[in-house]
Amino acid sequence: MRTLLITGIFAMVLPVACSPLPDEPPDQETGPTNVNTRLIVEKVEISGEGITKLSDPLRSEIGEVAGKNFDQTLLERLADRIKQELHAPDVRMHVVKSDMPDHVIVNFEIGAEHEKRFDLDLARFLYDSKQGWSGQGHATVNIHENAFSFGMVSDGDRLSERFAGIQAAFERKHVLTDRLQLRFDFSSYHEQWNDATLLQAAPEDIYRTRTQFSPTATVVILEPLVFSFGVDFARYRLNLPVANTESSNAVVSTLRYHQRWGSAKDRGEHDLRASYSERAGTHFLESDPVFARHEAEARYRFRRGHQDLAVGFLAGLISGRAPLFERFTLGNAETLRGWNKFDLDPLGGSHVAHGSIDYVYRGFLVFYDTGAVWDRPDQREQKQSLGLGCKKAGFQLAVAFPVRSGAADPVFYAGMNF
Amino acid sequence: MMRMRTIKPWWVIAAFLSGLTFAMFAEELILSTHESRLEFAAPRVHFLVGKPLERLRNASEVPFVFKITLWSGTRAHILREVPARFVVSYDLWEEKFSVTKLATPRRAARHLTDNAAEAWCLQEMSQDVTGIGATEPLWARLEIRAEDDKESGLPFGRGNITDSGISLTSLIEIFSHPAATAQPHWNVETGPVTLDELRRARPPG
Repeated sequence: MRTLLITGIFAMVLPVACSPLPDEPPDQETGPTNVNTRLIVEKVEISGEGITKLSDPLRSEIGEVAGKNFDQTLLERLADRIKQELHAPDVRMHVVKSDMPDHVIVNFEIGAEHEKRFDLDLARFLYDSKQGWSGQGHATVNIHENAFSFGMVSDGDRLSERFAGIQAAFERKHVLTDRLQLRFDFSSYHEQWNDATLLQAAPEDIYRTRTQFSPTATVVILEPLVFSFGVDFARYRLNLPVANTESSNAVVSTLRYHQRWGSAKDRGEHDLRASYSERAGTHFLESDPVFARHEAEARYRFRRGHQDLAVGFLAGLISGRAPLFERFTLGNAETLRGWNKFDLDPLGGSHVAHGSIDYVYRGFLVFYDTGAVWDRPDQREQKQSLGLGCKKAGFQLAVAFPVRSGAADPVFYAGMNF
Repeated sequence: MMRMRTIKPWWVIAAFLSGLTFAMFAEELILSTHESRLEFAAPRVHFLVGKPLERLRNASEVPFVFKITLWSGTRAHILREVPARFVVSYDLWEEKFSVTKLATPRRAARHLTDNAAEAWCLQEMSQDVTGIGATEPLWARLEIRAEDDKESGLPFGRGNITDSGISLTSLIEIFSHPAATAQPHWNVETGPVTLDELRRARPPG
């Protein structure tokens, strides 16, 4: 019995005694350098201004941190993304112990906007080999929650006319509540007309100058649905031997929807924008032309890794007699790229339908546009165009070809934010 | 008859106090030897304070870069420059510090008080002095810099920390530029002193 006991003790002690000593010193370390990685994040809080403006993908990423181990690098990256999305001057991260042992609470504190902030930006810049140069720049001063902006524009792309002049705006981002915004826009332009337009237009349709004033209010009905309403007062001086001024005063209303979900890093980010707007020129506002303009627009974008797919749709209808700046045009840097708008309809049309697909892979862009602009049903003729180029961080360089028989007549585009 | 000049007692006290004050502030870097190693202590230098401490108490890790410079013979002859990088963190629940020395092999010390964490870093900077003459004059300087949150992305930032730390060249490069005004930094130095003097001054035992 004793022999058995001694043998048992030896059997237990010997392997331990004979096991080799570890080569590493006792304090050799391979674990994380931050001891707090052992702690669990109980919840993540965000405080400060503009929280409601955070995108859903970022919100969901922030939410996913709860329940996981503390990861300083990840949290700092999230703080940077909050800062970028909200254009906040600073986002500070505070970490405190929670009530549960070995748990912490993370708070992202969004720094308040500077009392005065001045921004100067080139909002849009474009060279089109058919229409020439277009550009738009703004200077903005933010004082508390009021934004004053002043800009200059020369645009030969969007409308059938080239308009050049000044733009000014005042915006109050919160009126009593976060859900209500007020905006006043003022613009004054000189117009230049293409020969093709002058040939087809009636003399009383052509104007030399245009001044517009537009007060609007925007209400956030239910995120992400936003409703804007207001009036647009436009006065334009006709190009007649006897100087004559007309007014186009319209009631304006727009319903917008914008939703983003997913993440571009893993399953892909989806972005859907849709809007419906109505402008009604009425005698009630002492408008000379009486018309109703309806426009529906939708754009869906999917991004994943280096891939970026965008599908756009536009439909519009004008009833009554609208001034030329209200009419729809196709064949510019955004629609039926490759076509010349003066070949399609130099006056613009009262009906429009357009669709486009853009695909970008690692900055390489291909696109397809199709659409029609017309006044009478017998004028409706579907056009198509194809193009390719490169697109990176708002800058785009592309060549587009109209799909038609005969010689290829490509259009070159280069610019930013168009 | 010759008149005896008397020394007023308050002069004696003032001289003693000024000497003591000088000694307190002059000897910030204390050298000692242990076997063939030269060890450093700087009991008056506290780097776990101010902004770095604020970041540590906010659960962030804070990297510190240390550099020991030794001169021998004359002040013009640099014997060696030894940089090292330490990452300090503070456990919010245990309220204790942890220090990791980014080297191969990586070494760490856990559950330390602030003073113990500071002392551990200095202890890790000890130098082998084999081959240095016992009567050769030595000068030593210790430089400590806390890396800022933002700068740690470059060129020795958190993203670049590997098990072997960062390259010697980049660490030396850090100290070749003066510390930014806002960057917490500490410099202390001592010398000339010989190894014989240090060995004689060592308490018996």
